[in-house]
Amino acid sequence: MATSQGNDSDMDCSDNEDCYDDYNDYYNDDNSDGEQLDMSKTDPEYFDYKCLSEEEVERLLNETVESLSNRLFISPSLAKVLLHSHEWNSNEVICKYKENPQQTLIAAKIDPPTPSKSIIVTSTYLSCPVCITTLNIDKFIKLNCTHMFCKDCWTTHFEVQIAQGISTAISCMAKDCVVLAPEDFVLKHLQHKTSIREKYQHFTFRDYVKSHPELRFCPGPNCSVIICSREIKAKRVVCDKCNTGFCFKCGCDYHAPTDCQVIKKWLTKCADDSETANYISAHTKDCPKCHICIEKNGGCNHMQCSNCKHDFCWMCLGDWKSHGSEYYECSRYRENPNIAHESAHAQAREALKKYLHYYERWENHSKSLKLEEQTLEKLRTRINKKVMSGLGTWIDWQYLFTAANLLAKCRYTLQYTYPFAYYMDTGPRKELFEYQQAQLEAEIENLSWKVERAETTDRGDLENQMDIAEKRRTTLLKDFLDV
Amino acid sequence: MAALPRRIIKETQRLMQEPVPGISAVPDDSNARYFHVIVTGPEDSPFEGGLFKLELFLPEDYPMSAPKVRFITKIYHPNIDRLGRICLDILKDKWSPALQIRTVLLSIQALLSAPNPDDPLANDVAELWKVNESEAIRNAKEWTRRYAMDN
Repeated sequence: MATSQGNDSDMDCSDNEDCYDDYNDYYNDDNSDGEQLDMSKTDPEYFDYKCLSEEEVERLLNETVESLSNRLFISPSLAKVLLHSHEWNSNEVICKYKENPQQTLIAAKIDPPTPSKSIIVTSTYLSCPVCITTLNIDKFIKLNCTHMFCKDCWTTHFEVQIAQGISTAISCMAKDCVVLAPEDFVLKHLQHKTSIREKYQHFTFRDYVKSHPELRFCPGPNCSVIICSREIKAKRVVCDKCNTGFCFKCGCDYHAPTDCQVIKKWLTKCADDSETANYISAHTKDCPKCHICIEKNGGCNHMQCSNCKHDFCWMCLGDWKSHGSEYYECSRYRENPNIAHESAHAQAREALKKYLHYYERWENHSKSLKLEEQTLEKLRTRINKKVMSGLGTWIDWQYLFTAANLLAKCRYTLQYTYPFAYYMDTGPRKELFEYQQAQLEAEIENLSWKVERAETTDRGDLENQMDIAEKRRTTLLKDFLDV
Repeated sequence: MAALPRRIIKETQRLMQEPVPGISAVPDDSNARYFHVIVTGPEDSPFEGGLFKLELFLPEDYPMSAPKVRFITKIYHPNIDRLGRICLDILKDKWSPALQIRTVLLSIQALLSAPNPDDPLANDVAELWKVNESEAIRNAKEWTRRYAMDN
C-alpha cells in the first residue's frame, strides 16, 4: 500500500468491497495447507534431513569411531584422527589402511614423513629442549616422531594451544615437525584440568562436525542444533529449534533456484557495487502521474497513489493495467540487440544498466519481505480490532497468517530468481524462465494486495490466490532448480 | 611478577656469552623479558652498513608462544611494514617451542638478505620490488643511509 507526503487518508478500503462478499464455504474448505500436502517426492524442494542435538551427534560419531576401531584393531583415538582426516568416510579409511597402513598413518600425520632415527638413550637423565631442565628419563614422553619433551612442557603447550582455539591441529613441539597429538595423548596431559579438558573436547567436537560432510551446525544465533543429511545438496533445511532456514550445501541463506556458486558471485558483486546500491536503495519514488513523492510502506508492488489514485507498478513505474493478468513483463530485462556494435563506453553503460535492472528487483523484493513482516504486525492489530467488534472470531482470522507466510515464502523464491536470471545466457531457456518469473511475480503481487486488504473472514478468494501463487512457484522450481 | 623461567635465564646467558655474529641482544635493566636488539645489515644486501634497532618481548607463556619482535629503525623492506612489524612464519603459525631468541634473530637477519616480495606485509614496497627491483633496492639503500647509519 502507498501513502504520500501530506496526505494521510486511509486507503485500505479503496476498492475491495465487492470482492469479499461470499461467506458460504469457508468452513468447508479444509485443504488450506497447500504446503503440507506438497511434502512428497514430487516437491522440487523436498529434502530428507534430521535436526540432531549435540548429544545425538556425539553418539553418532562415537559409533563410527568404535566400529572403525574394531574393524582395524586400532585405538579409538587413532580411529578418530583417521576419520577426521578422511571426512568421516569409514570405507575409505578401511581401504587405504588395509592397502598401506604406513602411508595412511603418515598422511594422517600420526607418523612422521621420514622414519625418525631411533635415539638410543644411555643416561637416565635428559635435558628438556623447551624448559632446559634436566630431569629423569621417566618424566619424558614423545609422539611417534620420537621428539622428547618433559611432561610439564607438553601440558603447558596444550594449554596455550587450546586457549587459542586449536584442538585437532595441535602438533608436536619440535621445529618443523608436523606430527599431530591425538586426543588421548592430549587428554592424558590435562588430567586435573577439568575446564581446559572441557574446552578441548568442545573444540574437537566442532572440528569433527565441520569436517563431516553430512553434518552442519545450525547458523542461528546461540543454537546448538546440528542438521544431518545423507545427501549433500543445495536444499533448504530449517532448524526445528530456532527456525533458522539455510542452504544445506553452502550454509548461507537459502537461494533456490540460484545455485551456491552463482549466489556467492552475485552477493560479492552486490557488495562491491555498494555505492550504486546506495543510490538505488533510496526509499522513495515519485508518482509517475502526479509526481508526488511516495514512500513505500507495504510489501506489495501494486501501488496506488493516495493523491491521484493512479495504479502503477513500483518497480517499473508503468501503469498497473499492463501488469494485470495476461501480460506482465516488468521482471524481464530487454537487452539492446545492437550492443555488439556499440562503443566500449556504451557497452559498459549497458552492462551497468543490466546489473541495475536485476539488482533493483532483487533489492526491492528483499525490502518487500521486510515490509511484509511489518504488515503481519498490522494484521495482528487489525484482527484484534475486528474480533473485539464482533466481526468473526480470532480463529476465523487465522487464515490470513497462513496467507502471509505463504506470501513470504513465494516472495523469497522470487527474490532469488533475479540473480539466477542475471547470470543466465540469452536464449529460449531464459525466455521461458523469465516468462515463468513474470507469472510468479504477477501472482505474488496479487496475493500481497489481497493480504494487505483482507476485510472479511472470507477465505475463498484469497485461498485461490494462494494456491495459484504456490503452484507458480513450484512449477518454476521444478523446471529450473537443478540439484 | 613470577620468577623468570630457567629457560629464559639460560637463553639470556648464552646470548651474552656467545653472541651471534652481527646481532646484539641485551635485556632491559628493569624487565628481563624485554630485549634491546641491534642487527647489522648483512653484507651484499641493500641494508649493508646499517645498524637496525629492534625490540623483542617474551610473552608470559614463552616459549609456548612466539616472542614479539618489531623493528624500531625505519626500514624499506617488503616483509616489514611502516610500524616495523615483521611478516615471518616462525613468529606466527610456524612457531615451535623448540625455537629460541637466537634462531628468531638469525631468521630476521636472513630476511634482510633475502626479501620475499611474494609474501608481502608492506604492499607498496613489495609491488615496487616486483616490478622494478633496481629502484626498490635504491630506495632500500637510501633509507638505510638515512635512518640506520647516523647513530
